Formats: sequence, structure tokens, C-alpha cells
Amino acid sequence: MEKFDVIVVGAGLAGLAAAYTLASEGMEVLVLERGDYPGAKNVTGGRLYVNPVRELFPDLWKKAPLERFIAREGVTMMAHERSLSIGYDGNELLEEPQQSFSVLRAKFDRWLAKQAERKGAMIVDKNRVDDLVREEGRVVGVWAGGDELRADVVIACDGVLSLLAEKAGLRQPGNPKDFAVGFKEVIELDSAVINERFALEGNEGLARMYMGEVTRGKFGGGFLYTNKDSISLGIVVGIKDLMEGPNPVQAPVLLDEFKQRREIAPLIKGGATVEYAAHAIPEGGLKAMGKLYGDGILLAGDAAGFSMNIGVTVRGMEYALASGYYAAQAVIKAKAAEDFTARSLAIYESILNNSFVMEDFKSFQAAPEALENPRFFEHYPELLGNIMRDIYAVPAGPKNRLYPTIKQYMKIGELWSMFGDMRKAMKI
Amino acid sequence: MNIVVAMKQIPDLQQIRIRNRKPVFDDVPMTLGAIDKNALEVGVSIKESQGGKVTVLSAGNEDLEDTIKEALAAGADEALLVIDDALAVAGSDVIAMVLAAAVKKMEAAELIIFGEGSGDNYSGQVGSRVAAILDWPQVGYASSLELNGNMLRAARSLEDGEEIVEVTLPAVVTVISGINEPRIPSVTQILKAGKKPKEVLEPEDLGLQIPAEAQVLSLSNLAPESERKQVVLKSVDELVQALKNENVIGR
Amino acid sequence: MSEIIGLKAKLGLDVFKHDKEPHIKIKPGMAKDPRLKRAVLVCPAGLYSENAQGEVEFTIDGCLECGTCRLACGTEVLEWNYPGGGTGVQFRFG
Repeated sequence: MEKFDVIVVGAGLAGLAAAYTLASEGMEVLVLERGDYPGAKNVTGGRLYVNPVRELFPDLWKKAPLERFIAREGVTMMAHERSLSIGYDGNELLEEPQQSFSVLRAKFDRWLAKQAERKGAMIVDKNRVDDLVREEGRVVGVWAGGDELRADVVIACDGVLSLLAEKAGLRQPGNPKDFAVGFKEVIELDSAVINERFALEGNEGLARMYMGEVTRGKFGGGFLYTNKDSISLGIVVGIKDLMEGPNPVQAPVLLDEFKQRREIAPLIKGGATVEYAAHAIPEGGLKAMGKLYGDGILLAGDAAGFSMNIGVTVRGMEYALASGYYAAQAVIKAKAAEDFTARSLAIYESILNNSFVMEDFKSFQAAPEALENPRFFEHYPELLGNIMRDIYAVPAGPKNRLYPTIKQYMKIGELWSMFGDMRKAMKI
Repeated sequence: MNIVVAMKQIPDLQQIRIRNRKPVFDDVPMTLGAIDKNALEVGVSIKESQGGKVTVLSAGNEDLEDTIKEALAAGADEALLVIDDALAVAGSDVIAMVLAAAVKKMEAAELIIFGEGSGDNYSGQVGSRVAAILDWPQVGYASSLELNGNMLRAARSLEDGEEIVEVTLPAVVTVISGINEPRIPSVTQILKAGKKPKEVLEPEDLGLQIPAEAQVLSLSNLAPESERKQVVLKSVDELVQALKNENVIGR
Repeated sequence: MSEIIGLKAKLGLDVFKHDKEPHIKIKPGMAKDPRLKRAVLVCPAGLYSENAQGEVEFTIDGCLECGTCRLACGTEVLEWNYPGGGTGVQFRFG
């Protein structure tokens, strides 16, 4: 029977970050991946914020196969028949080191796996982990295709559903209200065409979020990221809203409607869709998190629930990279003490608590509830759209003064609700 | 018994997509031909029942060192690789020359097993060519094998029936995909594969020079482009009429 | 071709490797369970549909393994596992 210091389940960002870190410290680490190659099962919307994790992997970023750095940000409020867009350009977005990059996971994760292998990690793909091996209640390894493989610690980085976390008794199957589903098309276009359409130069990229009608008022939004020679266009929508909210709609229809919007259609015209992907996303924040460790086991990445939607930004990948790194640090400490019990591995939580990961989750713990407000996704986009329509309209007769034009929408009841929504939103 | 299984590294065909009417090979993972895996399974099961050693033999570019682990995990004991970039695009004649030279260099190979055709081009030539160069008997389309000492009895699956032939070793056998169900290596076997002996040769080690360019140039292997007429029809009658107008029916 | 393409055609762009058995199954007797109907709406691959008898039907071909149906319907209704190693969808872009 094979015995390792650590078995990592899942070659996503968390698992590979853990393996890279452990192998760099000379630990014997085996990564098991069920896909044909690392990245084969992994999906992102697509943006990675490098700043928070740059120092954790100082040697990685120079050669990383990232797509474009995000030089332009934008958000669009979509009403039924109109929309209001805000673009943001800032010189700081152009300065090196750049803060965020569009990314395609099949390419990035394969590359990261190579880096981990170079450090000495063993990566075995095409193999699914079926179960944990337990002895006296402690996790001592995994079962994979009839093979029993042992390790001091198992780091479960098996993604949003983390069947292993359930098997380890660290958490129950998830509640729909704590998860969203994202689905996207990768649409191929020549890089020159992309640069022209989005007014980009060289390797500059654009990221744009869409709120409102794009999800038919359901919790969520649309996104567009430019890659080197493709566009990632997709939708993220709360599973609870999707399965039982008003205006029922089949998820794939939302993306088709999105693509036909006049705000989008010209941007992707002539492009060829080359892939359709989907993934569930943990969005429950701090409250939805289960236990992060047990006897002989740690959770990292989506498996631990480390992904966050605060409306303007949706983040997950840097939490995955960081939690993988911190899980590795915890294991290194546990190894020094030769103690892999939950009590010893609890250091993982204290390391996380002192990192940006848990700081963020604590800071934004009110976000999921504050954003649950359906008015953000239907009422305000419509309201803003209508105000803009009236501001821009020049009728045949005399035009209203601007202030009364706006004021007619701001009746006392509306202002009162706005005030209430604002107070809730201020918790984010 | 020293068994040699010849296998070819090919791109994972399912991963290839077409862009601007050209196949895109970027980032396509490499694997071994499907029928080659049947050939390996034959070799490994003979070894398991009769003892001996299975050497996987392959020629290709440097990715081969990684790709061949699949074969070592699935039961081959060691690998003999001839590596040169030119071999990735070389034709059947060149590959056969290289493989035959490598076999001559090995100690007392008695049985060489090939898949009937490679997973990508399926020219089905290399096995026969190697047999010709070595001047060994060859059995093609083998659907089952039975070894008795120095005597190999094989069933050949032919269009109009089955033929049973016997040859004395050494011999070359090319097998069809129906001969077995190749095993899927376990994690432990995959891990052990990395530690199995691997000998890497360059063509020069075999006294060979490989032409840098492929001798056979593929212009296109895509179906010819044709304009669709895009006629919308509302009834069967209209369809019949339209087909008649096109001279497709009712001539 | 960025125009609207049918869902089947869209899924046809992805690489799928065949698994011996479907990795998701509707548990026996659950085809009419109201929880299962949620899958018809939430599945991004549109693999669930309701037939005239009010039963939910499911096909595994084209499953993107996103996990949404498991979250929406729950494990009392669905028997849910990932497909075997080296099978199922293999993203080329992700």
C-alpha cells in the first residue's frame, strides 16, 4: 500500500496551490484528479485577482498563462428595453503589477500542475476518489478506483459540492440559497477584432458586469471578460431564485436572451462559440461555511465555501489559491509536531483567520443577505433606465426641466424604500 | 519470452477541434492509439500467463517520455523510446525502419505485437513493414492468440470468415480491437510506472538519419466544402417537388 | 456563429468521454417528486424535462457536472456522484 505525507483530492487552484507549496517544502504529496488533465473539470467566469496572492507564490506570476490584464471595468444596469452603463478607466489599472487578469482554467490549471510537478508533487489524473479511508474515526487516506492510498493528511479540494467533506461529516449537502450557478460560452474572435470592439490596446482586457433584466430580476447577473482571442460571456444566478422565484425560466434561456440583447449582440458578432461550460458556485459566505478541518483532513477552495459575491465583484480563485497555500502551511506545522488530529490541524483555521481570506469573509458577511433584495435586480435597473430615458428624451413639445423629471420618480414611498435598501446595502 | 509491443503516440482525437477549416492541435493532450492498447493488453496477458517481459517500443517526439507512462502503468515492464522531432511527422516507412533497427538492438525479441492500425492515420503499414525488414513471418488481423512454446497459433478475423494460422517465433502480429478489453491502470500502477526502466535513444544511436520533412504531404483530410441551398419547405408535396426539380428523384 | 445556437449544438461543442453508467440517477419512485421539477429550470444543460404524465425525465448526455441539480433537488431525490475517472465532460477552455 502506498503511503504519502499528503494526498490532495482535486487538481483545481486550491489543490494545486497546496501541492505546490507542500512539494516546495520537500513533502511527499500526491494529487488525484478525476479529469483527463488538471483543469478539465474546472470552470471560471473568468477573472483572477492576483494582488492578494502575489506574495504567496512569488515565482509563479511571470510566466503564468493568463489571458489579458483587466484595464477597463464596467457595469451595466439592464432594464427591459434600455440599459445604463458605467465604464471605469483608471491609470492604476494599467500599472504593473496589474491587479487582475482574465483566465481560462483548462490552460491555467494544466500549467500550474506542471509547476507543482516540477517541485516534486505527483499528479495522477483520470482517477476519481471514491471515498475516504478511516481508522478509528480518523481520516487516513482515500479509496480511488479500488486502490487504498494512505496519507497523514488528506486535503479535500474537490470543489463546490465536496462529496468528501460530506463523507468526513464536516458538512451536510448544500442548501440552494447558499449557491449560485454560473454558465458561460467561450466565443472565439480574433484578438485584433477584440481590441477594436472594446477599444483595447495590446494585452489590455475588459471586464463588465450586467445586472437586472439579464437574470429576469433574479439574484445574479451577467458577465463579459475578454480573453486573448476569445470572449467569456455568461450568467450567474442564485439557485433558489432560479428554481422557485417569480418569472420562471430555464437557465439556458437566460444566456440566449443575454446574447440577443443589443448591448451584447454586436460585441460577439461573427464570433464562434467554442465551448459551453457551467458550474455551481458557493455564495453563502461565512454563515454557510461548515467545519474546515477534522482528524486527518482539511478543506480548501470551493470545497470549503471560499467564494464570494458582493455584487460588483465575484471572487473565488484567489481564495482557492490562498486557502490551498494556508492548508499546506497548516500541514507543515502538523508534520513538525507529528500530530494530525483535528486539534493539531485547527491551526489551519487560525492561520486563515489572520489572512485576507477570513478577513474578507468577515467583512462581507452581511453581503449575501443584503444582496438578496430583489429590488436590486429588477426595480432599480428599470427605474434608472426610465430616468435616463426621460432625461435624454426631447419631445415635440417643450421639454421638462431635469430636476422635476427625476423628482417624479422619487415619490415619498420610493425614497423611503430606497433609504431602507441603502441602509441594507451599506452593510456590504 | 521477450515480448515487444509497438505503440504510437497520437493526439487525443476527441480534443481536436476545427478552426478556419484546420485542425487545432494546441494544448491537445497526447495519448496512445486505441488499438495499440489492445496490443499491449495481449502482450501483458501472455506475460502474465507464461512469464517473460514486455517492452513497449515507440518512436516520436519528446512528449513520448511522458505519454509512454500510460503503457508502463498498464503492464509494460520497460520502455524503449526513439526520440526525435522529425519522427512525429515521419511516414510509415521511416517509422518501420526505426522500429526494426531498435528491435535488432534488443536482446532476443521473440514476438512483436502491433495494433492493426494507428489511432490517427490508420495506414496499417508499420507492422508489415517491420516484419519485412526483419524477415519474420507476420500475422495480420489477429483476433486471438495462443502460444505453445515456439509455436504461435492465431485466429485471423477476415471479411468472409476466420482463418487459423500457425507460425514459429520470432514473429510479428498485428491485432484487431476486438481481441480484448484493455485494462485501466490503477493509481498505484500509475505511480509505479514512473519508476520503471525507460531507455531513450536517438536515431543516430541506431545509425539512422531521419529526413526532416514528412515524405507524404497531407493537403487536407476534410470533406470538401459545399454550399447549402437552405430551402425551407412547408409540406411533403413541396419537398417531393423540390427534389424532382433538383433531379434527385423521379428521373 | 455567435448567433443563437440550440442547446444540443452548444453541448456538441464540448468534449465528452463516455462513462459506463450514468453518474446521476433519479431515485426510484421520485420521478413525480415536486423537488425534482426544480431541475427542469436550473439545469444549464437542459437535461431534465417534464413529460405529459407529470414525470421528470433525465438524460445524462451533455452533463456539465456543475452540481446544480444536486443542490436544487437534494440527495433524497437524486443519486448523485461524479463520473468515473477520465470520463464525462473535459473542458478545453474552462
